[in-house]
Amino acid sequence: EFCSSLAGVMLLEVFLVLGTVIIYFLLSKKKEETLPFQKGWWGKGQKPDTEEDITIWPFKVETTEEELSDLFRRLDQARFTEPLENSCFHYGTNSVYLRKVVSYWKNQFNWKKQVEVLNKYPQFKIKIQGIDIHFVHVKPPCLPEGQSAKPLLMVHGWPGSFYEFYKIIPLLTDPASHGLSDEHIFEVICPSIPGYGFSEAPHKKGFNSISAASIFYELMLRLGFNEFYAQGGDWGWLICTNLAQIAPNHMKGLHLNLASVTNMGFIHLLSILLGRYLPGLFGFRDEDVRRMFPFLKKGLYRILLESGYAHIQATKPDTVGCGLNDSPVGLAAYILEKFSTWTDLEFRHLEDGGLERKFNLDDLLTNIMIYWVSGCIVSSMRFYKENLQKGIGTQKHERLTVQVPTGIASFPNEVMHTPQAWAQKKYTNIVSFHFMPRGGHFAALEEPELLAEDILQFVGKVEKEQLWRKK
Amino acid sequence: QTILCLPRSFEYSQKNAVLVPVAVLGVGGMLVYWLRSRHKIKTIEMGDGWWGSGERPLKGKEDESIRPFKIETSDKEIEDLHCRLEQARYTPPLEGAAFHYGFNSSYLQKVVAYWRNQFDWRKQVEVLNKYPHFQTTIEGIDIHFIHVKPSYVPHGRAVQPLLMVHGWPGSFYEFYKIIPLLTEPARHDLNEGDVVFEVICPSIPGYGFSEAPHQKGFDTIATARIFHKLMNRLGFKEYYLQGGDWGSRIITNMAQMLPQSVKGLHLNFVFVSRQGLRRMISVMLGAYVPWLVGLTREDVRRTYPFIQKNIYELLRESGYLHIQATKPDTAGCGLNDSPVGLAAYILEKFSTWTDKSFLHKDDGGLESKYSLDELLTNVMIYWVTSSIVSSMRFYKENISKDPGLTADARVGVDVPTGIAAFPQELVHTPRAWAKEIFKNIITYSYMPRGGHFAAFEEPKLLAQDIMRFVRKVEQL
Repeated sequence: EFCSSLAGVMLLEVFLVLGTVIIYFLLSKKKEETLPFQKGWWGKGQKPDTEEDITIWPFKVETTEEELSDLFRRLDQARFTEPLENSCFHYGTNSVYLRKVVSYWKNQFNWKKQVEVLNKYPQFKIKIQGIDIHFVHVKPPCLPEGQSAKPLLMVHGWPGSFYEFYKIIPLLTDPASHGLSDEHIFEVICPSIPGYGFSEAPHKKGFNSISAASIFYELMLRLGFNEFYAQGGDWGWLICTNLAQIAPNHMKGLHLNLASVTNMGFIHLLSILLGRYLPGLFGFRDEDVRRMFPFLKKGLYRILLESGYAHIQATKPDTVGCGLNDSPVGLAAYILEKFSTWTDLEFRHLEDGGLERKFNLDDLLTNIMIYWVSGCIVSSMRFYKENLQKGIGTQKHERLTVQVPTGIASFPNEVMHTPQAWAQKKYTNIVSFHFMPRGGHFAALEEPELLAEDILQFVGKVEKEQLWRKK
Repeated sequence: QTILCLPRSFEYSQKNAVLVPVAVLGVGGMLVYWLRSRHKIKTIEMGDGWWGSGERPLKGKEDESIRPFKIETSDKEIEDLHCRLEQARYTPPLEGAAFHYGFNSSYLQKVVAYWRNQFDWRKQVEVLNKYPHFQTTIEGIDIHFIHVKPSYVPHGRAVQPLLMVHGWPGSFYEFYKIIPLLTEPARHDLNEGDVVFEVICPSIPGYGFSEAPHQKGFDTIATARIFHKLMNRLGFKEYYLQGGDWGSRIITNMAQMLPQSVKGLHLNFVFVSRQGLRRMISVMLGAYVPWLVGLTREDVRRTYPFIQKNIYELLRESGYLHIQATKPDTAGCGLNDSPVGLAAYILEKFSTWTDKSFLHKDDGGLESKYSLDELLTNVMIYWVTSSIVSSMRFYKENISKDPGLTADARVGVDVPTGIAAFPQELVHTPRAWAKEIFKNIITYSYMPRGGHFAAFEEPKLLAQDIMRFVRKVEQL
């Protein structure tokens, strides 16, 4: 028994060494490999032999009296736990403030009116790889002579939704009416990630960011777009990045408001240890140093403090989501905590989490209602497990680079800052990298003008130098 | 003179450049180690605390009465529960997911159907009330406990007081099967005969029927102090302690705080927080020459493959710990509002922590070791007391600080200790590692079967080990 375990360990070591050698070989040889397009099947049961139905049909969000009265009943019977004295938002969402939100939700929030707001942009559904994909498709109201609209795919994240883009869409489809330059006008496509909102959830295991990118690639092709731009933050960042790796010839430009680096190496460690003292050596600018150091406080501890949700969602999504799909108040507490802390970490010291300083309750509750009425919280959480279960930095696509022209808008209150010096190891063609003056994680909802301006200037650069042709 | 020495040969200064910092580091390291070990305190300070709402009242002594307590329910409570069970919204599991994504909702629906239609809460309340319950106010909050005395004491035998402390997501109810084995061993064919106990099972403040603290900072040390005060109030000067999960850390703190009151400490779970260079070396060598670092064959079987069992599996199972240690109020909010969500969250642990292979089963193997009645009774304790959020806050209060610097990490435990190592426990702690903290291990047993909820799952095995340990201590 002892001998076999010894042999087992030695075998493991041999494999590890072999594995490392092989990986090193792969890494050093084919860095510019593209990611293969994934043709999966995510519907129920067996894939049928018939050809997939490719029609696109219009979709409208609807509600019923029954849905509303069920919601109100649950809000009425909500059971709260008193917070500890002076705990503000340090233990999570403060239940005293939560009670006020629930009271607003019951008495002033008008879901029927919000449904009309949601329906003001044309929405559609299409079946791809076995599941129904929901998306918003907004064309410019008027186009100047000789100009064509540029297709722009915008992908949301968790716990957001397509609704986060409702304020920025008009700035991109009709910039002139909003005081922005109309040199570039967009038609915007905002899909819902499968398992989020009105997109059907995958029925099979294994649906990760590459699967989502493949589906969105197919979506853009079916809509007739051969070349397009993509924009994203949170999971949208990863999906759009994967899309750039799958279809670099179709993507003219990639704009991100979050650019994480998951593939850390020795250089990163060194730059963390010494970057504060020798910023120039590692390519850090003053603003990078300001946002990243002291690293323990602003990097490691912050990540540990704020990543509990990711840890449990990446391991037991069905457990943690169960109660949230049954208690709208629990769902609200869980989601609102992110809209508070990820907008400004200082909001943890406030009794009301600072939520209404940057957002209004109608918008926040509409986003939560999308999770509630579609019952998608559990499937939205499974995305974490499918992407993270093997660990961070271990997947093949994380080691591949991106050659598509990239623009990065770096918002100051994002939970963790990624300096350009790190980002450019992955995004080898960074055309613009700007430190935004204010704003946090939910950039499109919180600072739509800032984000729109950055997107416009990025596209301007790409178009002017026809950068997408130089690959 | 030193300045003149500088332009000496290149080789000489280069050697210096390496040797000097290494020497400094070496000496510095030793100095730090010496300083820190000098600060090895003998016991943890008892201190004092106030956990009631508002300011501590300046005058007036605390009410020290011990009041009998009975658990009650009402039609309203049961109807509200039924209403919520009926309106539950489920998400279908992924095909072939079993319990790999968490609690399987297809099986959950069966559990809820039982809960709604067959589970009888009134009957279970009577079961809970079969042992005498009490409440008393300590440090501003009401502490709940059960106190079970043997119905008869054989002539001339001493009755040993035994404090048993539960953990999360358990409760005092976990001990209901083991209590009769300890208070009346002879009646249950346990001829460990000379030892008879009177058992006290409190609820940790914030759990079950003990009031939740209103102030921040309520950790295991505060709990340890409160439980010492409780035993003192009950008239005990010396007593035995038993615990697993949080109970294990609380009673360890109790032994570190007032060793003179603790006759013996029995654990079915060992928290070993100090991971250092020595541990790493022990782990690496342990794979090849276990005897050199004090590991037995069984230790090796339970600990290796190390990365798989101790890192990968631990990461897979500690999501709850991470979120509860950082955002307990958020994590618990929905669970206090949805009994189905609460059941899924708690029962997942009773599945996975009882046997890791249960992950592969569609029903999580729950009913192979427990009855739905007893599982749901435990869940109901969290539900009717609305204590899930306060129970989770305990994680934040205990985990926020740097584990190496807390008082209890620097104090050894000298009282006689007994350890029952169950094979399906989350993490296996070999005797060689436990010895770093527990200096006086009297018994260390490799149990043949059982997981994390030892008292609930294998009461007889645990009772036998407790008695074996206490007998040895009494003989000393």
